[in-house]
Amino acid sequence: MITVALPKGGLLKDSIRLLQSVGLDFSAFLDESNRQLEIWDTSRTAKALLVRNYDVPVYVEYGQAQLGIVGYDMLREKRPKVAHLVDLQFGHCRLSVAVKASSPYRSALELPPHCRVASKFVQCASEYFSSLDLPVEVVPLYGSVELGPITGMSEAIVDLVASGRTLQENHLIEIDQLFESTARLIAHPLSYRLNEDGLQDKIEQIRALSLAMV
Amino acid sequence: MVYQPPIGARDLFPLDVMQKRWIERHLQQVFHRWGYHRIITPTLERLDTLMAGGAIELSTVIQLQDREGDSLGLRPELTASIARAAVTRMAGASHPQRLYYKANVFRRTPKGNHNRQQEFYQAGLELLGCGGVAADAEVLFVIQDCLAHLGLTDAYLVLGEAALTRSLLSPFPANLQESVREAIATLDRLTLESLPLTPELRDRALLILDLRGQPADVLLRVSQLDLTDEQRAIVSRLKALVELLAASDAGQSPRLILDLSLIQTFDYYTGMVFEVVGRVPTSGQRVLGQGGRYDQLLGLYHPQGQSFPGVGFVLNMEELYQVLLPTGQLPQQIPVSDRLVVPTTPNAYAAAFTHARHLRQTNPNERVEVELATLDKPLTPEAIRAHAQNRRIRQILWISETGEVETEDLLQS
Repeated sequence: MITVALPKGGLLKDSIRLLQSVGLDFSAFLDESNRQLEIWDTSRTAKALLVRNYDVPVYVEYGQAQLGIVGYDMLREKRPKVAHLVDLQFGHCRLSVAVKASSPYRSALELPPHCRVASKFVQCASEYFSSLDLPVEVVPLYGSVELGPITGMSEAIVDLVASGRTLQENHLIEIDQLFESTARLIAHPLSYRLNEDGLQDKIEQIRALSLAMV
Repeated sequence: MVYQPPIGARDLFPLDVMQKRWIERHLQQVFHRWGYHRIITPTLERLDTLMAGGAIELSTVIQLQDREGDSLGLRPELTASIARAAVTRMAGASHPQRLYYKANVFRRTPKGNHNRQQEFYQAGLELLGCGGVAADAEVLFVIQDCLAHLGLTDAYLVLGEAALTRSLLSPFPANLQESVREAIATLDRLTLESLPLTPELRDRALLILDLRGQPADVLLRVSQLDLTDEQRAIVSRLKALVELLAASDAGQSPRLILDLSLIQTFDYYTGMVFEVVGRVPTSGQRVLGQGGRYDQLLGLYHPQGQSFPGVGFVLNMEELYQVLLPTGQLPQQIPVSDRLVVPTTPNAYAAAFTHARHLRQTNPNERVEVELATLDKPLTPEAIRAHAQNRRIRQILWISETGEVETEDLLQS
């Protein structure tokens, strides 16, 4: 039996649609009234776990799920020991540095040394600024990072930007990009090597579909 | 003040010890049957000894300093220690050295892991002074016997060939070789696809990434590549090994997967590499152990740099425990005492200890306890009886001051 870890939130709908087209139906997760965290495919050959996107690589790394779908941003942030298999071509976004539109800064390098940068992506932000040789204090936040500069707690934020609307509505502007991200298919390395229950076939089907979408 | 063990350490209580000993005893029986002898090396080694092989990351070693300021480390594995020790006895030895160990090892927790275990127990063996397919096969057969003896039939052996894979990577540009190797070792297909490689090289990298499956099938696929003579020689040795394993299959061997993407990011293994995989019903597959051939390692420890071939494996006791626990084979309780000797008055202790000694001498396999409570805080016979029954002791011997014995067999409920 194959278990897939699926992320709550923005990637869920596309993930479920993709799995449906390779014969795994987990559409029950899209039902508003659903409260179950673990459901079987309607053919009962596979199972899906509904978890926070942050936790997808965890379940896959420990082997409770053989496959998982998660944003590349999360893989960069958490560096889990998982196999990176397919770029699924949806969930396009970018990890960016943003500041208040009214601030004088127009690139990350202009930020004053030892300023504060609020982010959910502590690891990525720290690596990025140390690659610029710009010492900053990264302030970890768990949500609504935009409030950092608005309240004056931080000069800048490092956060995911998709359409840019949230930034705009909060009078923030994007000044630099760390990297672009899309949803990725990942696998538990050991399960990938052992290839039980037709795992490789499913992966190939998913790869073929994603390539067709390019 | 509450005294706790350091983070990542644990105490083994009597039942834990019994279960650990059960596993060790079974492994040891197999090692002995194959003619291996136990070696004990120091827990502390010089840091340079531990690091010489290049397989250990400094950040994982728990370090100490001796009085002269030299850096020492708690051993993170045993092969370096055994290579260092054994190489001094290799000269002139005409036969291979068969050594095994069971020991604790220490690994510093990587940053960001909360309270992860730092002290582990391992059992493993090294076959030194012998190259060739037969020695490789022997080591794999010992593993098969270990698994069979532990009753672990649902297992896999994932077998790779470090020298072959490394050599297949040699056409890649020098500045990208490390990245390609790391991406293959970590099964990172997306990185392979994005590296600036020519289409031919990218196809080759992706092909190596998936050179895995039924041994015959993988051997066929690799033989179809444009191989050098040296590579052909390795492939035919690998084929001989696979055939040898198949020919002596006793029926309950672990399933064999040939996986040429199974490589490390460091140059340590020089031939076959493998992982032993078992299944825990509730939580999936686990790597129970790993090993391989390291024909350059002993030379690093030899005063004149003279090298000797070596091959070995290690089994991780904690992982074995996890797969064995659900099978119900491990002891479920500590042994009960057989008899309880009770002095009936405070003055009867001399007689009680004397009688207990006599019982132990006549029944050396039994456990005999003396009731200690009567001296300070006398218990009623009923309380003693109830307590003994609770602990499933089968006989009480009531001893009087003058040494008279009244035997009472307890009914077990």
